[in-house]
Amino acid sequence: MQLKRNLNFKFTCLTPLFVLIGAYSYAQTLKGKVTDGITGEPLIGATVSILQTDQHKTVLLDGGYSFKKVKPGSYSVQVKYLSYHTQTATVTVKKESETLKDFALIPQINELNDVNIISASASNESRSRSIEKNANQLVNVFSARTIQLLPDITVANVMQRVPGIVIDRSNNGEGRYPVIRGMDKRYNTTLVNGIKIPSPDNNNRYVPLDLFPADLLERLEVSKSLIPSMEGDAIGGTINMVMKDAPRQLLVQANASAGYSTILNAQPFQAFDHSVINKKSPGEINGPDYNASPKDFPAGNLSYRELKRPINKTFGLTLGDRFGEQKQFGVIVSASYQDIYRGTNTNYFFPNTQPGLENTPVFADVYLRQYSTQNKRIGLYSNMDYLINAKHKITWFNMYLRTEDFQSRATVDSVRNISFTGPGNGNVNLENRSTWQIQQIYNSTLKGTHYLSKRFIADWSAVYSAAKNEIPDYASFTTQHGVSTDANGKQTETTYYLSSMSRRWTHNTDRDAALYANLTFNPKQVFNSKAEFKIGGLYRHKNRDNYYNQYDLDPSVPSGSTNQAYTDIFNAQFAFKGSDGGKSGDINANTYNVQEDITAGYLQGKLNPIPKLEIIGGLRVEHTRNHYETVQPNTVQGKAGTIYYTDLLPSVQFKYSLTAQQALRLAYYKAISRPGYFEIVPTLISGEYYNEAGNYDLNRSRADNVDLRYEFFPGAADQVLIGAFYKRIKDPIEAGLAQVSGTNTTQVLKPFNYGAASNYGAEIAATKYFGHFGVSANYTYTHSRITTPKSYYYRKPDNSTGFRDIDQTRPLQGQADHIANLSFIYKDPALGLDAQIAYVYTGKRIIVVSPYYGLDYWQRPFNQLDFSVEKKVMKLFSVYSKVTNITNSHTKVDVLQPNTFLSGRDRLPMQEDTDKILVQNTFYKPSFLLGLRYKFN
Amino acid sequence: MKTKLLYTLSLAVLIFTGCEKLEKRHADIYTPVLTPSNPVSDTAPLSGNIKGTMLSGKTYTINGDVIVQKGDTLILQPGVRVNVTNGAGILVYGTFASLGTHENPNWLTVDGVVRTDAVNANPNTDPAFKGLWRGINGSTDCNMIVLKWTHVEFGGGAAGATIGAALGIANNKNTYNIYFQNPAGTLIVEDSWFYGSVDDPIRVTGGKIAILRNTFEKGGLTGGEAFSCKGGTVGNVAYNLCVGMCTNAIKISNTGGTNIQTNVRVYNNTIINCGWRRAQVGRGGSVNFEEGAAGKFYNNLMVNCKYGPRVVTSPPADTTNLDYGNNFNYGDSLAVTNQFYPPTYITKPKTSDIPKPNTFLPATYKLGDVYDGTALVGKNNPKFINGPAPLPAGATLKGIAVAGTYNFGLSTGSPCIAAGYTGFAPTGNIPIAANYGITELTPPGRDIGAFQTDGTGNRH
Repeated sequence: MQLKRNLNFKFTCLTPLFVLIGAYSYAQTLKGKVTDGITGEPLIGATVSILQTDQHKTVLLDGGYSFKKVKPGSYSVQVKYLSYHTQTATVTVKKESETLKDFALIPQINELNDVNIISASASNESRSRSIEKNANQLVNVFSARTIQLLPDITVANVMQRVPGIVIDRSNNGEGRYPVIRGMDKRYNTTLVNGIKIPSPDNNNRYVPLDLFPADLLERLEVSKSLIPSMEGDAIGGTINMVMKDAPRQLLVQANASAGYSTILNAQPFQAFDHSVINKKSPGEINGPDYNASPKDFPAGNLSYRELKRPINKTFGLTLGDRFGEQKQFGVIVSASYQDIYRGTNTNYFFPNTQPGLENTPVFADVYLRQYSTQNKRIGLYSNMDYLINAKHKITWFNMYLRTEDFQSRATVDSVRNISFTGPGNGNVNLENRSTWQIQQIYNSTLKGTHYLSKRFIADWSAVYSAAKNEIPDYASFTTQHGVSTDANGKQTETTYYLSSMSRRWTHNTDRDAALYANLTFNPKQVFNSKAEFKIGGLYRHKNRDNYYNQYDLDPSVPSGSTNQAYTDIFNAQFAFKGSDGGKSGDINANTYNVQEDITAGYLQGKLNPIPKLEIIGGLRVEHTRNHYETVQPNTVQGKAGTIYYTDLLPSVQFKYSLTAQQALRLAYYKAISRPGYFEIVPTLISGEYYNEAGNYDLNRSRADNVDLRYEFFPGAADQVLIGAFYKRIKDPIEAGLAQVSGTNTTQVLKPFNYGAASNYGAEIAATKYFGHFGVSANYTYTHSRITTPKSYYYRKPDNSTGFRDIDQTRPLQGQADHIANLSFIYKDPALGLDAQIAYVYTGKRIIVVSPYYGLDYWQRPFNQLDFSVEKKVMKLFSVYSKVTNITNSHTKVDVLQPNTFLSGRDRLPMQEDTDKILVQNTFYKPSFLLGLRYKFN
Repeated sequence: MKTKLLYTLSLAVLIFTGCEKLEKRHADIYTPVLTPSNPVSDTAPLSGNIKGTMLSGKTYTINGDVIVQKGDTLILQPGVRVNVTNGAGILVYGTFASLGTHENPNWLTVDGVVRTDAVNANPNTDPAFKGLWRGINGSTDCNMIVLKWTHVEFGGGAAGATIGAALGIANNKNTYNIYFQNPAGTLIVEDSWFYGSVDDPIRVTGGKIAILRNTFEKGGLTGGEAFSCKGGTVGNVAYNLCVGMCTNAIKISNTGGTNIQTNVRVYNNTIINCGWRRAQVGRGGSVNFEEGAAGKFYNNLMVNCKYGPRVVTSPPADTTNLDYGNNFNYGDSLAVTNQFYPPTYITKPKTSDIPKPNTFLPATYKLGDVYDGTALVGKNNPKFINGPAPLPAGATLKGIAVAGTYNFGLSTGSPCIAAGYTGFAPTGNIPIAANYGITELTPPGRDIGAFQTDGTGNRH
């Protein structure tokens, strides 16, 4: 602190102190508010001192301070806050009265005063409220400080706290993709600092949010409406991750923590040797005509060793400062590292590809699965800015994210259609799978802001981004044995026989180059008030390469009378089927290149035609051109294709200020959702249940959206938001079953446009602080409906069987009718203590849409309880702890059909209900982290 | 007394039919040999688009994938030999017809392969399972594939880009000797020979079919059936001899979601030592009726197969439209005889079956129960004229995989004679025609198995 005091010394206005001490009464109070002198935001945590008495108070969550029982007299009152000029004022406290004194502090460096550039201290919650209040569009904001205090370490898990958002989880329990107001991940867009970033996902556009360590963020903004200057492919919403700007002065922040996933007590972590894995397939190394031999595939990554109680680790470091005579050059660098071991235990009943007659559910397999997943995340970014002069600023942002997942999966598969007599009897397959997935995102953005004149501001961004996903040697093998029970009930097992092995190499790379440019014009007066006009556009070129190569091996067949017994993977003898089975496989199916060019322009105006009413609106035009090439032979229809279209996207928003703290907003916007890259490429790949193919006839989805919101910001960090929305989506994209070429009996799952879907709902969010205590709650009701044809297997009047389509109306995939968040927060700035209990409720929702009528997979309501606490231990240090999934919530999934699996031969485990069939039960158990944080400035 | 009467009656029938044969009118009438308008040249190896007629007595070489385009027809006259090199195959969008005769059969094969057909030969090194070419593959709108008196050998190689893309399978995945996938199209395979295949010698995912009087040997290395079909398949699989198939000999299923239900009549097939290369417990056997399939199976003769005929329960065959009986099982070991009615399945024992179920199933027997087949080991020998029953000394169950010099005709006193059921007719509506139809839609025979004592049925 001494260092900072010296640094600040020359800026500090030191008022000579003269003190009169009145010594009689203690009934006097001195109180007031402390705000940012420019934005008017409360400065919570600022220190107010009465110099003569050496009393200190902290500005509380309501933005105020108060000294009680002050003797009457004249005092020097000093207010200090990080990055602000210290202010001292003489205050006279009169006898038997309440003295009010407000302070408005001036930031130490005068930022370019532009609403588009948000100053560097925007990391507290009141600042978030301020952004929400002043934003042009409907937005929810989480500040860095809020995020830091959450129990979550990835952005995906933070997202579940945002009103109206549900998180889709990966198989290790980590949140991955947000569903915003019932709109599936495909309808949402992810930005970093306002720039769209490419996804490493092998098929889709949406970005897995578990790649982003939460501690890198300055704030998280979720926009639920669009204005013309925003990209138009966000029917559900836009997620903008804003990284920190260079600070006003030296900034050092560091944190380190260690923790443990408690499920690994009961379920040892199964690690495998990934060093033997070849990053390239035999076909890539030796050419696609190379006929691989079984020797080309190492066995080491299919051999497992137990890791006893692996420790989770996280580490973060942020450094920033300004340099130069005028502090014109600023830099911030931030690094985050996470190494987390997780376990998942799941029971899953694998549906037969085709149901029974009258669509009765049939299960082919009972899976008992244990996953061991190690996630290693690295996040790095730097942000540099250079103030050429008061009118020109250049910033250069670089970000690199890398997530490596090492996952082993052990499956006990009880086969139900062969030799099955009842639970535990019949054929049992043991499958082991090892995967190593490397996902990377890189973004580099050079941005300039220029105050061309008093009325014109220009800004531009030149962007290069890349996203890469590699899954080298996705390897699995199966052994098989029979279990039978004799007349005395004794179970016997046959020898373990070697079954199949499969090895797959996939990787995909996206490279984006983009240019954004905007010109803002602030005319002197329109309608006797301030106005703003903006014109701008963007051009983005994307190049995506996708590679897929799979090898399937069978056990070699011994000449003797028995089959090949399994001892261990190193002794297993495999062979290819047929003489060319070792050549590169499926390269004609999912190896493709897609180029996308998006050109967009917009015109946006912001007017105040009458006092209190602000209108912002305009028109955006987006032109999309896709070109894809596959390596299919020339005989194949759809081997390559070019698709282009133009969208006109009008939007208008009205903001009517009822009072200074209350406003009504009404928004209309048109938005689109483009098909995924893979979805337009018509070739076939093998999926988990069905073969999957793309569809070049696919249209982008288009939606009309209406939003109404009432906002009330009564206190500094308090808020009440009540909103309603309606969306009408034309050509929503959903997967459906299709016959190849219409007549073939091989069914494929293919994306189609299905008529129109509607989605409406209401949300309410409220935050209220009572001194040290705060309550934050939100609730969203969503009601979406889509009607799609689904297959129905039935007996015809002529007594034969057949399939026909029946229209089924249902909610959109992933949409829960009810979503709620409730948090209890305790903040004591004097003690330096922050604690939070956060609860998330997600209602019943469809997680897998079945192509068959009535057989969708519904996840039961899901509750999660998490806890976090942070306590300052010394001036610059704090200890913190995060505990997640305290109640060990199980993910349970049902098929909503009468349960015929409660007893008898076909009995399934875990069944309790007669009106639904439990098909999945997954749990992860609690995990915790204990950490230390260092913060200088 | 009863048996005596039966014998007398049978003798009478024999004499009667014999007399009929004797009295049959014979005529040899000159038929002009039409010169085909579009003969295929044999001067250079073939690849790419080919249509027209391959001429009798000529040998052709296919050295790259051959495509019969939509609207085109490729005809093989009797006595044509096609040698395939470079692992190529035939892709049919139009019509393919190989019209061999008893006297002049056709060949679609790979030249110069040394066969290893000794008993107990090692499958890992057997060229039969190497997939030396890609077979004949119908597209989803292929009109017709016809094979008469044709040898199809060593198929099932990796699909490659062209055929893989047309079939919707990966280019390094195996093909079949014949693949057919059009429920509206017609597949006729009569009196032909299938030797060696990586997977199924014939795979059908929909089609009007006639698979009659063929011989299948060494089908499938680690999986594969002589004939395997999925949804949309209607027709007959009869009088086939299957020796040493990897999994089942004949599998009938209705998977695939087509609106035409699979309905296949499987009768009078002789099935020898099938199911033994299939590693998985519970897989492989003889005849399987699976998921949603309708049809009939009668008069089939099973010797030393891993399982007897199975009606699968989960998901179930269409049991309301499935009739069967008069099937014959023989086994030389308890592992085989314990599986005549495979436990856990729902094949109903029929009194017309041999051995008679009431002679060995306990009174308390329920469908799918385990039973004791000890008394059945080596009993009810079908009495082939010359066949591997009992299992030759030193031979493993897996070790019998070719017909070789065996004669699967029935000798006098065979329990299969006159034990068949003839009270139904073949199904389907494929016309009877010399070239683009069925030559002979043989109805169910009075003897069990493919080789009838009256000389009808399989003529190999």
